[in-house]
Amino acid sequence: MATNIPANLKYTKEHEWTLIDGDTVSVGITDFAQSALGDIVFLEVPEVGSELKAGTTFGVVESIKSVSDLYAPISGEVIAKNSEVEGSPEKINQDAYGSWLIKVKVKNTGDLQNLMTAEQYQEFCNTSH
Amino acid sequence: MSQLFRTHLYQEHVKLNAKIVPFAGWEMPVQYTSVKDEVLAVRQNAGVFDVSHMGEFFVEGPEAETFVDYLLPNDIINAPTGKAVYSPLCRDNGTVVDDLIVYKLAPGRVLICVNASNIDKDFSWIQQKQKGFNCTLTNKSQDYSLLALQGPKAWETIQNFVTELPDIEYYSVFESSFEKHPVIIARTGYTGEDGFEIFGSHEAILGLWQNLLKHGVTPCGLAARDVLRLEVCYPLYGHELNDELNPFDAGLGWTVKAAKTKFIGKEALAARKPNKYKLVKLILEKGIPREGYPVLNGSGQPIGIISSGTMSVILNKGIALALIDVDKVPMDDVFMVDIRQKHYAAQLLKKPFVTGGHK
Repeated sequence: MATNIPANLKYTKEHEWTLIDGDTVSVGITDFAQSALGDIVFLEVPEVGSELKAGTTFGVVESIKSVSDLYAPISGEVIAKNSEVEGSPEKINQDAYGSWLIKVKVKNTGDLQNLMTAEQYQEFCNTSH
Repeated sequence: MSQLFRTHLYQEHVKLNAKIVPFAGWEMPVQYTSVKDEVLAVRQNAGVFDVSHMGEFFVEGPEAETFVDYLLPNDIINAPTGKAVYSPLCRDNGTVVDDLIVYKLAPGRVLICVNASNIDKDFSWIQQKQKGFNCTLTNKSQDYSLLALQGPKAWETIQNFVTELPDIEYYSVFESSFEKHPVIIARTGYTGEDGFEIFGSHEAILGLWQNLLKHGVTPCGLAARDVLRLEVCYPLYGHELNDELNPFDAGLGWTVKAAKTKFIGKEALAARKPNKYKLVKLILEKGIPREGYPVLNGSGQPIGIISSGTMSVILNKGIALALIDVDKVPMDDVFMVDIRQKHYAAQLLKKPFVTGGHK
Protein backbone atom coordinates (compact mmCIF):
# COMPACT_ATOMS: atom_id res chain seq x y z
CA MET A 1 0.00 0.00 0.00
CA ALA A 2 1.39 3.37 -0.96
CA THR A 3 1.33 5.56 2.11
CA ASN A 4 2.03 9.15 2.78
CA ILE A 5 4.30 9.66 5.84
CA PRO A 6 5.31 13.30 6.45
CA ALA A 7 8.86 13.69 7.80
CA ASN A 8 7.98 16.41 10.32
CA LEU A 9 5.69 14.17 12.38
CA LYS A 10 6.30 11.39 14.94
CA TYR A 11 4.38 8.10 14.94
CA THR A 12 3.12 5.19 17.07
CA LYS A 13 2.74 1.48 16.41
CA GLU A 14 -1.02 2.06 16.67
CA HIS A 15 -0.80 4.16 13.49
CA GLU A 16 -1.25 7.55 15.10
CA TRP A 17 0.68 10.65 14.16
CA THR A 18 1.79 13.41 16.50
CA LEU A 19 2.87 16.95 15.80
CA ILE A 20 5.07 18.22 18.61
CA ASP A 21 5.09 21.92 19.45
CA GLY A 22 6.96 22.46 22.74
CA ASP A 23 4.91 20.61 25.37
CA THR A 24 1.76 20.56 23.19
CA VAL A 25 1.15 17.54 20.97
CA SER A 26 -1.54 17.27 18.27
CA VAL A 27 -2.69 13.69 17.66
CA GLY A 28 -4.32 12.15 14.59
CA ILE A 29 -4.39 8.86 12.71
CA THR A 30 -2.09 8.15 9.78
CA ASP A 31 -2.91 7.87 6.12
CA PHE A 32 -2.18 4.14 6.43
CA ALA A 33 -4.77 3.86 9.21
CA GLN A 34 -7.51 5.80 7.41
CA SER A 35 -6.95 3.76 4.29
CA ALA A 36 -7.14 0.46 6.20
CA LEU A 37 -10.32 1.57 7.98
CA GLY A 38 -12.17 2.74 4.89
CA ASP A 39 -15.10 5.17 5.11
CA ILE A 40 -14.88 6.72 8.59
CA VAL A 41 -18.32 7.55 9.97
CA PHE A 42 -17.90 8.10 13.70
CA LEU A 43 -15.32 9.57 16.02
CA GLU A 44 -15.35 9.66 19.80
CA VAL A 45 -12.65 11.62 21.63
CA PRO A 46 -12.40 12.70 25.28
CA GLU A 47 -13.56 16.04 26.61
CA VAL A 48 -11.11 18.86 27.24
CA GLY A 49 -9.60 18.42 30.69
CA SER A 50 -9.43 14.60 30.50
CA GLU A 51 -6.18 12.95 31.55
CA LEU A 52 -4.56 10.53 29.11
CA LYS A 53 -2.17 7.73 29.99
CA ALA A 54 0.32 6.69 27.32
CA GLY A 55 -0.59 3.36 25.71
CA THR A 56 -4.19 3.26 26.97
CA THR A 57 -7.30 3.81 24.89
CA PHE A 58 -8.67 7.34 24.77
CA GLY A 59 -11.29 7.16 22.06
CA VAL A 60 -12.79 5.30 19.16
CA VAL A 61 -12.87 5.66 15.41
CA GLU A 62 -15.50 3.73 13.49
CA SER A 63 -15.80 2.93 9.81
CA ILE A 64 -19.02 1.55 8.37
CA LYS A 65 -18.04 -1.99 9.24
CA SER A 66 -15.53 -1.74 12.09
CA VAL A 67 -14.67 -0.19 15.43
CA SER A 68 -11.05 0.70 16.28
CA ASP A 69 -9.68 2.02 19.53
CA LEU A 70 -7.44 5.07 19.65
CA TYR A 71 -4.39 4.77 21.91
CA ALA A 72 -2.77 7.68 23.68
CA PRO A 73 0.73 8.24 22.26
CA ILE A 74 1.77 10.15 25.40
CA SER A 75 0.48 10.95 28.89
CA GLY A 76 -1.01 14.36 29.57
CA GLU A 77 -4.09 16.52 29.66
CA VAL A 78 -6.44 17.06 26.71
CA ILE A 79 -6.46 20.81 26.06
CA ALA A 80 -8.46 20.81 22.80
CA LYS A 81 -10.56 18.52 20.64
CA ASN A 82 -11.33 19.00 16.99
CA SER A 83 -15.10 19.46 16.92
CA GLU A 84 -15.08 20.00 13.18
CA VAL A 85 -13.60 16.54 12.56
CA GLU A 86 -15.83 15.03 15.25
CA GLY A 87 -18.83 16.39 13.35
CA SER A 88 -17.54 15.32 9.92
CA PRO A 89 -15.24 12.35 10.50
CA GLU A 90 -14.98 11.70 6.75
CA LYS A 91 -12.46 14.56 6.76
CA ILE A 92 -9.97 12.02 8.16
CA ASN A 93 -10.27 9.99 4.94
CA GLN A 94 -9.82 13.12 2.86
CA ASP A 95 -6.84 14.51 4.76
CA ALA A 96 -5.48 12.33 7.57
CA TYR A 97 -2.64 14.70 8.50
CA GLY A 98 -4.82 17.81 8.27
CA SER A 99 -7.33 16.26 10.68
CA TRP A 100 -5.94 16.40 14.21
CA LEU A 101 -8.28 14.79 16.75
CA ILE A 102 -7.04 16.16 20.08
CA LYS A 103 -4.26 18.35 21.46
CA VAL A 104 -2.50 17.18 24.60
CA LYS A 105 -0.36 19.09 27.06
CA VAL A 106 2.42 16.63 27.76
CA LYS A 107 3.22 15.79 31.36
CA ASN A 108 6.73 14.52 30.77
CA THR A 109 8.45 15.58 27.56
CA GLY A 110 10.77 12.59 28.01
CA ASP A 111 7.86 10.43 26.76
CA LEU A 112 8.28 11.95 23.32
CA GLN A 113 11.48 9.92 22.90
CA ASN A 114 9.37 6.78 22.57
CA LEU A 115 7.68 7.94 19.37
CA MET A 116 8.89 6.75 15.95
CA THR A 117 10.41 8.95 13.30
CA ALA A 118 8.86 8.94 9.81
CA GLU A 119 11.65 6.63 8.67
CA GLN A 120 11.05 4.19 11.54
CA TYR A 121 7.31 4.25 10.95
CA GLN A 122 7.76 3.55 7.24
CA GLU A 123 9.93 0.59 8.18
CA PHE A 124 7.29 -0.53 10.72
CA CYS A 125 4.52 -0.39 8.07
CA ASN A 126 6.66 -2.34 5.59
CA THR A 127 7.52 -5.13 7.98
CA SER A 128 4.30 -5.50 9.93
CA HIS A 129 1.84 -5.59 7.02
CA MET B 1 -6.50 -23.30 10.70
CA SER B 2 -7.66 -25.29 7.71
CA GLN B 3 -6.94 -24.15 4.18
CA LEU B 4 -9.22 -21.38 2.97
CA PHE B 5 -11.01 -21.82 -0.35
CA ARG B 6 -10.78 -19.30 -3.15
CA THR B 7 -13.46 -18.67 -5.74
CA HIS B 8 -12.53 -18.87 -9.42
CA LEU B 9 -12.66 -15.06 -9.49
CA TYR B 10 -10.01 -14.70 -6.79
CA GLN B 11 -7.36 -13.39 -9.18
CA GLU B 12 -9.83 -10.82 -10.52
CA HIS B 13 -10.30 -9.50 -6.98
CA VAL B 14 -6.55 -9.33 -6.46
CA LYS B 15 -6.14 -7.41 -9.73
CA LEU B 16 -8.74 -4.92 -8.53
CA ASN B 17 -6.80 -4.43 -5.28
CA ALA B 18 -9.71 -5.67 -3.19
CA LYS B 19 -9.29 -6.02 0.54
CA ILE B 20 -9.61 -9.78 1.07
CA VAL B 21 -10.70 -11.41 4.34
CA PRO B 22 -11.50 -14.93 5.54
CA PHE B 23 -15.27 -15.50 5.50
CA ALA B 24 -17.07 -18.82 6.12
CA GLY B 25 -13.92 -20.73 5.14
CA TRP B 26 -13.30 -18.66 2.02
CA GLU B 27 -10.98 -15.81 1.11
CA MET B 28 -13.50 -13.25 -0.05
CA PRO B 29 -13.35 -9.60 -1.17
CA VAL B 30 -14.77 -7.44 1.62
CA GLN B 31 -14.39 -4.15 -0.25
CA TYR B 32 -12.87 -2.82 -3.46
CA THR B 33 -12.81 0.97 -3.18
CA SER B 34 -15.28 2.20 -0.58
CA VAL B 35 -18.21 0.51 1.18
CA LYS B 36 -20.19 3.71 0.79
CA ASP B 37 -19.63 3.93 -2.97
CA GLU B 38 -20.40 0.24 -3.40
CA VAL B 39 -23.69 0.51 -1.48
CA LEU B 40 -24.70 3.60 -3.47
CA ALA B 41 -23.85 1.85 -6.75
CA VAL B 42 -26.33 -0.92 -5.90
CA ARG B 43 -29.06 1.45 -4.69
CA GLN B 44 -28.73 3.82 -7.65
CA ASN B 45 -27.15 1.96 -10.59
CA ALA B 46 -25.79 -1.57 -10.64
CA GLY B 47 -23.22 -3.50 -8.65
CA VAL B 48 -21.91 -7.04 -8.95
CA PHE B 49 -20.90 -9.44 -6.18
CA ASP B 50 -18.92 -12.66 -6.42
CA VAL B 51 -20.96 -15.03 -4.28
CA SER B 52 -19.49 -18.24 -5.68
CA HIS B 53 -18.82 -19.44 -2.15
CA MET B 54 -22.52 -20.22 -1.76
CA GLY B 55 -23.69 -23.80 -2.18
CA GLU B 56 -25.76 -25.35 -4.99
CA PHE B 57 -27.64 -28.62 -4.54
CA PHE B 58 -29.75 -30.21 -7.28
CA VAL B 59 -32.74 -32.40 -6.54
CA GLU B 60 -33.85 -34.31 -9.63
CA GLY B 61 -36.39 -37.00 -10.39
CA PRO B 62 -40.14 -37.62 -10.35
CA GLU B 63 -40.47 -36.81 -6.64
CA ALA B 64 -38.10 -33.83 -6.54
CA GLU B 65 -40.81 -31.26 -5.72
CA THR B 66 -42.59 -33.62 -3.31
CA PHE B 67 -39.36 -34.17 -1.40
CA VAL B 68 -38.37 -30.50 -1.23
CA ASP B 69 -41.89 -29.61 -0.12
CA TYR B 70 -41.59 -32.18 2.69
CA LEU B 71 -38.11 -30.90 3.56
CA LEU B 72 -39.10 -27.23 4.04
CA PRO B 73 -41.75 -25.28 5.99
CA ASN B 74 -42.60 -23.03 3.03
CA ASP B 75 -44.91 -24.08 0.19
CA ILE B 76 -42.88 -25.51 -2.67
CA ILE B 77 -45.36 -27.86 -4.31
CA ASN B 78 -47.90 -25.19 -5.25
CA ALA B 79 -45.33 -22.71 -6.57
CA PRO B 80 -45.33 -22.84 -10.37
CA THR B 81 -42.31 -24.07 -12.32
CA GLY B 82 -40.01 -21.10 -12.88
CA LYS B 83 -40.59 -19.66 -9.40
CA ALA B 84 -38.08 -19.15 -6.60
CA VAL B 85 -39.11 -19.64 -2.96
CA TYR B 86 -37.26 -18.48 0.17
CA SER B 87 -37.48 -20.86 3.12
CA PRO B 88 -35.82 -21.84 6.35
CA LEU B 89 -34.59 -25.44 6.57
CA CYS B 90 -35.74 -26.83 9.90
CA ARG B 91 -34.98 -29.81 12.11
CA ASP B 92 -37.72 -32.06 13.51
CA ASN B 93 -37.63 -29.90 16.65
CA GLY B 94 -38.23 -26.75 14.59
CA THR B 95 -34.79 -25.16 14.95
CA VAL B 96 -33.19 -23.66 11.87
CA VAL B 97 -30.42 -25.56 10.06
CA ASP B 98 -30.10 -22.81 7.44
CA ASP B 99 -32.10 -20.42 5.28
CA LEU B 100 -32.08 -20.98 1.53
CA ILE B 101 -33.72 -20.32 -1.82
CA VAL B 102 -35.40 -23.06 -3.86
CA TYR B 103 -35.51 -22.60 -7.64
CA LYS B 104 -38.08 -24.68 -9.55
CA LEU B 105 -36.14 -24.98 -12.81
CA ALA B 106 -38.30 -27.57 -14.59
CA PRO B 107 -40.66 -30.38 -13.62
CA GLY B 108 -38.51 -32.84 -11.67
CA ARG B 109 -35.56 -30.43 -11.45
CA VAL B 110 -35.01 -28.22 -8.40
CA LEU B 111 -31.98 -26.11 -7.45
CA ILE B 112 -31.37 -25.22 -3.80
CA CYS B 113 -28.93 -22.41 -2.99
CA VAL B 114 -27.56 -22.44 0.57
CA ASN B 115 -25.17 -20.40 2.74
CA ALA B 116 -21.46 -21.13 2.26
CA SER B 117 -20.84 -21.75 5.94
CA ASN B 118 -23.57 -24.41 6.07
CA ILE B 119 -22.93 -26.43 2.88
CA ASP B 120 -21.72 -29.61 4.59
CA LYS B 121 -24.22 -29.42 7.46
CA ASP B 122 -27.14 -28.84 5.08
CA PHE B 123 -26.10 -31.51 2.61
CA SER B 124 -25.80 -34.25 5.22
CA TRP B 125 -29.13 -33.22 6.78
CA ILE B 126 -30.95 -33.19 3.44
CA GLN B 127 -29.32 -36.46 2.38
CA GLN B 128 -30.50 -38.14 5.57
CA LYS B 129 -34.09 -36.98 4.97
CA GLN B 130 -34.18 -37.84 1.27
CA LYS B 131 -34.24 -41.62 1.72
CA GLY B 132 -37.42 -43.17 0.33
CA PHE B 133 -38.11 -40.38 -2.18
CA ASN B 134 -37.77 -41.11 -5.87
CA CYS B 135 -35.21 -38.42 -6.64
CA THR B 136 -31.47 -37.80 -6.55
CA LEU B 137 -29.60 -35.19 -4.50
CA THR B 138 -26.28 -33.82 -5.80
CA ASN B 139 -23.97 -31.25 -4.25
CA LYS B 140 -22.68 -29.23 -7.21
CA SER B 141 -21.21 -26.39 -5.14
CA GLN B 142 -17.74 -27.07 -6.58
CA ASP B 143 -18.98 -26.97 -10.18
CA TYR B 144 -20.81 -23.64 -10.08
CA SER B 145 -19.75 -20.05 -9.76
CA LEU B 146 -22.36 -17.44 -8.83
CA LEU B 147 -22.66 -13.70 -9.42
CA ALA B 148 -25.23 -11.33 -7.97
CA LEU B 149 -25.90 -8.38 -10.28
CA GLN B 150 -28.00 -5.96 -8.24
CA GLY B 151 -29.47 -2.51 -8.65
CA PRO B 152 -32.08 -0.53 -10.60
CA LYS B 153 -29.95 -0.85 -13.77
CA ALA B 154 -29.44 -4.62 -13.41
CA TRP B 155 -32.24 -5.45 -15.84
CA GLU B 156 -31.03 -3.22 -18.67
CA THR B 157 -27.42 -4.27 -18.04
CA ILE B 158 -27.96 -8.00 -18.24
CA GLN B 159 -29.80 -7.68 -21.56
CA ASN B 160 -26.44 -6.93 -23.20
CA PHE B 161 -24.92 -10.25 -22.28
CA VAL B 162 -27.41 -13.10 -22.29
CA THR B 163 -29.08 -14.61 -25.34
CA GLU B 164 -32.60 -14.55 -24.01
CA LEU B 165 -34.22 -13.30 -20.84
CA PRO B 166 -37.90 -12.45 -20.63
CA ASP B 167 -38.98 -9.82 -18.10
CA ILE B 168 -39.56 -12.47 -15.42
CA GLU B 169 -41.12 -11.57 -12.09
CA TYR B 170 -39.08 -10.99 -8.94
CA TYR B 171 -38.34 -14.38 -7.37
CA SER B 172 -38.45 -16.25 -10.70
CA VAL B 173 -35.81 -18.16 -12.60
CA PHE B 174 -34.97 -18.68 -16.28
CA GLU B 175 -32.38 -20.81 -18.04
CA SER B 176 -30.47 -18.89 -20.69
CA SER B 177 -26.93 -18.75 -22.05
CA PHE B 178 -23.93 -16.46 -22.06
CA GLU B 179 -21.42 -16.90 -24.91
CA LYS B 180 -22.76 -20.42 -25.52
CA HIS B 181 -22.44 -21.42 -21.86
CA PRO B 182 -25.70 -22.41 -20.19
CA VAL B 183 -26.50 -20.15 -17.25
CA ILE B 184 -29.32 -20.14 -14.70
CA ILE B 185 -30.62 -16.61 -14.15
CA ALA B 186 -32.75 -15.92 -11.10
CA ARG B 187 -34.38 -12.58 -10.31
CA THR B 188 -33.34 -12.81 -6.67
CA GLY B 189 -30.79 -11.20 -4.41
CA TYR B 190 -29.89 -10.04 -0.96
CA THR B 191 -30.00 -6.27 -1.33
CA GLY B 192 -33.68 -5.35 -1.64
CA GLU B 193 -33.04 -3.98 -5.12
CA ASP B 194 -34.08 -5.47 -8.43
CA GLY B 195 -31.39 -7.80 -9.68
CA PHE B 196 -30.25 -11.18 -10.76
CA GLU B 197 -28.27 -14.07 -9.42
CA ILE B 198 -26.52 -15.91 -12.24
CA PHE B 199 -25.31 -19.47 -11.78
CA GLY B 200 -22.92 -20.97 -14.33
CA SER B 201 -19.67 -22.79 -14.96
CA HIS B 202 -16.52 -21.14 -13.61
CA GLU B 203 -15.54 -20.19 -17.17
CA ALA B 204 -18.91 -18.64 -17.96
CA ILE B 205 -19.05 -16.63 -14.74
CA LEU B 206 -15.47 -15.37 -15.10
CA GLY B 207 -16.32 -14.15 -18.60
CA LEU B 208 -19.55 -12.55 -17.46
CA TRP B 209 -17.81 -10.83 -14.52
CA GLN B 210 -15.20 -9.33 -16.86
CA ASN B 211 -17.88 -8.18 -19.30
CA LEU B 212 -19.98 -6.58 -16.57
CA LEU B 213 -16.99 -4.65 -15.24
CA LYS B 214 -16.05 -3.47 -18.74
CA HIS B 215 -19.64 -2.29 -19.06
CA GLY B 216 -19.15 -0.08 -15.98
CA VAL B 217 -20.85 -2.20 -13.32
CA THR B 218 -19.29 -1.57 -9.88
CA PRO B 219 -17.64 -4.58 -8.19
CA CYS B 220 -18.99 -4.79 -4.64
CA GLY B 221 -17.67 -6.66 -1.61
CA LEU B 222 -19.15 -8.45 1.38
CA ALA B 223 -19.14 -5.31 3.56
CA ALA B 224 -21.47 -3.50 1.15
CA ARG B 225 -23.58 -6.65 0.88
CA ASP B 226 -24.02 -6.73 4.64
CA VAL B 227 -25.02 -3.05 4.84
CA LEU B 228 -27.46 -3.51 1.96
CA ARG B 229 -29.18 -6.54 3.48
CA LEU B 230 -29.35 -4.92 6.89
CA GLU B 231 -30.88 -1.70 5.51
CA VAL B 232 -33.76 -3.80 4.14
CA CYS B 233 -33.79 -6.08 7.25
CA TYR B 234 -33.00 -9.42 5.63
CA PRO B 235 -31.79 -11.93 8.24
CA LEU B 236 -28.31 -13.45 8.06
CA TYR B 237 -27.61 -16.97 9.29
CA GLY B 238 -25.30 -16.85 12.31
CA HIS B 239 -26.82 -13.53 13.38
CA GLU B 240 -30.63 -13.45 13.29
CA LEU B 241 -30.85 -17.20 12.63
CA ASN B 242 -28.96 -20.05 14.24
CA ASP B 243 -29.14 -23.67 15.36
CA GLU B 244 -31.02 -22.75 18.56
CA LEU B 245 -33.74 -20.51 17.13
CA ASN B 246 -36.92 -21.42 15.28
CA PRO B 247 -38.27 -19.36 12.34
CA PHE B 248 -40.74 -17.53 14.59
CA ASP B 249 -37.94 -16.20 16.81
CA ALA B 250 -36.40 -14.55 13.77
CA GLY B 251 -39.62 -13.03 12.42
CA LEU B 252 -39.89 -15.68 9.70
CA GLY B 253 -43.29 -17.02 10.77
CA TRP B 254 -44.60 -16.10 7.31
CA THR B 255 -42.41 -18.84 5.77
CA VAL B 256 -44.01 -21.57 7.89
CA LYS B 257 -47.09 -22.89 6.09
CA ALA B 258 -48.79 -24.71 8.95
CA ALA B 259 -51.64 -25.86 6.68
CA LYS B 260 -49.31 -28.15 4.69
CA THR B 261 -50.11 -31.80 5.43
CA LYS B 262 -46.56 -32.65 6.36
CA PHE B 263 -43.10 -31.14 6.53
CA ILE B 264 -40.08 -31.60 8.76
CA GLY B 265 -40.62 -29.70 12.00
CA LYS B 266 -44.40 -29.27 11.49
CA GLU B 267 -45.41 -30.86 14.81
CA ALA B 268 -42.72 -29.08 16.82
CA LEU B 269 -43.52 -25.71 15.27
CA ALA B 270 -47.27 -26.21 15.82
CA ALA B 271 -46.78 -27.19 19.47
CA ARG B 272 -44.03 -24.66 20.10
CA LYS B 273 -43.83 -22.74 23.32
CA PRO B 274 -44.11 -18.96 23.07
CA ASN B 275 -41.17 -17.45 21.19
CA LYS B 276 -38.02 -16.92 23.18
CA TYR B 277 -37.12 -13.76 21.29
CA LYS B 278 -38.65 -10.94 19.39
CA LEU B 279 -36.57 -9.59 16.53
CA VAL B 280 -36.80 -5.79 16.45
CA LYS B 281 -35.50 -3.04 14.19
CA LEU B 282 -33.73 -0.18 15.95
CA ILE B 283 -32.45 3.12 14.58
CA LEU B 284 -30.17 5.54 16.45
CA GLU B 285 -29.76 9.27 16.03
CA LYS B 286 -26.27 8.99 17.46
CA GLY B 287 -23.86 6.08 17.88
CA ILE B 288 -23.36 2.95 15.80
CA PRO B 289 -24.83 -0.29 17.17
CA ARG B 290 -22.71 -3.41 16.60
CA GLU B 291 -23.31 -7.13 16.96
CA GLY B 292 -23.18 -8.18 20.62
CA TYR B 293 -23.94 -4.79 22.16
CA PRO B 294 -26.56 -4.99 24.95
CA VAL B 295 -30.02 -3.54 24.39
CA LEU B 296 -31.60 -1.87 27.43
CA ASN B 297 -35.05 -0.67 28.42
CA GLY B 298 -35.80 2.87 29.59
CA SER B 299 -34.62 2.02 33.12
CA GLY B 300 -31.28 0.80 31.81
CA GLN B 301 -31.92 -2.91 32.38
CA PRO B 302 -30.62 -5.37 29.77
CA ILE B 303 -33.41 -6.88 27.68
CA GLY B 304 -31.61 -8.29 24.65
CA ILE B 305 -28.69 -8.11 22.29
CA ILE B 306 -27.85 -6.62 18.90
CA SER B 307 -27.68 -9.44 16.33
CA SER B 308 -26.49 -7.19 13.45
CA GLY B 309 -25.66 -3.52 13.40
CA THR B 310 -24.00 -0.99 11.15
CA MET B 311 -24.05 2.56 9.89
CA SER B 312 -26.68 2.89 7.18
CA VAL B 313 -25.16 4.47 4.09
CA ILE B 314 -28.53 5.72 2.85
CA LEU B 315 -29.79 7.12 6.17
CA ASN B 316 -26.41 8.03 7.66
CA LYS B 317 -27.62 6.67 11.01
CA GLY B 318 -26.85 3.63 13.11
CA ILE B 319 -29.26 0.76 12.41
CA ALA B 320 -29.62 -2.65 14.00
CA LEU B 321 -31.60 -5.83 14.28
CA ALA B 322 -31.82 -7.01 17.88
CA LEU B 323 -33.08 -10.15 19.59
CA ILE B 324 -35.12 -9.09 22.63
CA ASP B 325 -36.18 -11.54 25.37
CA VAL B 326 -39.86 -11.89 24.63
CA ASP B 327 -40.94 -11.32 28.24
CA LYS B 328 -38.83 -8.18 28.52
CA VAL B 329 -40.09 -6.30 25.46
CA PRO B 330 -40.81 -2.81 26.86
CA MET B 331 -44.45 -1.77 26.67
CA ASP B 332 -43.46 1.89 26.28
CA ASP B 333 -41.27 1.12 23.21
CA VAL B 334 -38.31 2.84 24.88
CA PHE B 335 -35.04 1.18 23.86
CA MET B 336 -31.43 2.08 24.47
CA VAL B 337 -28.20 0.55 23.22
CA ASP B 338 -25.15 0.21 25.44
CA ILE B 339 -22.20 1.38 23.36
CA ARG B 340 -18.97 1.26 25.35
CA GLN B 341 -20.83 1.76 28.65
CA LYS B 342 -22.75 4.77 27.34
CA HIS B 343 -26.47 4.54 26.74
CA TYR B 344 -27.76 5.76 23.39
CA ALA B 345 -31.47 6.20 22.64
CA ALA B 346 -32.83 3.90 19.94
CA GLN B 347 -36.13 4.19 18.14
CA LEU B 348 -38.19 1.11 17.31
CA LEU B 349 -39.18 0.82 13.65
CA LYS B 350 -41.97 -1.40 12.33
CA LYS B 351 -40.88 -1.27 8.69
CA PRO B 352 -37.45 -1.90 7.17
CA PHE B 353 -35.02 1.04 7.39
CA VAL B 354 -34.81 1.30 3.60
CA THR B 355 -37.30 0.22 0.95
CA GLY B 356 -35.48 -1.53 -1.84
CA GLY B 357 -36.55 -0.98 -5.41
CA HIS B 358 -37.32 -4.57 -6.35
CA LYS B 359 -40.63 -5.31 -8.05
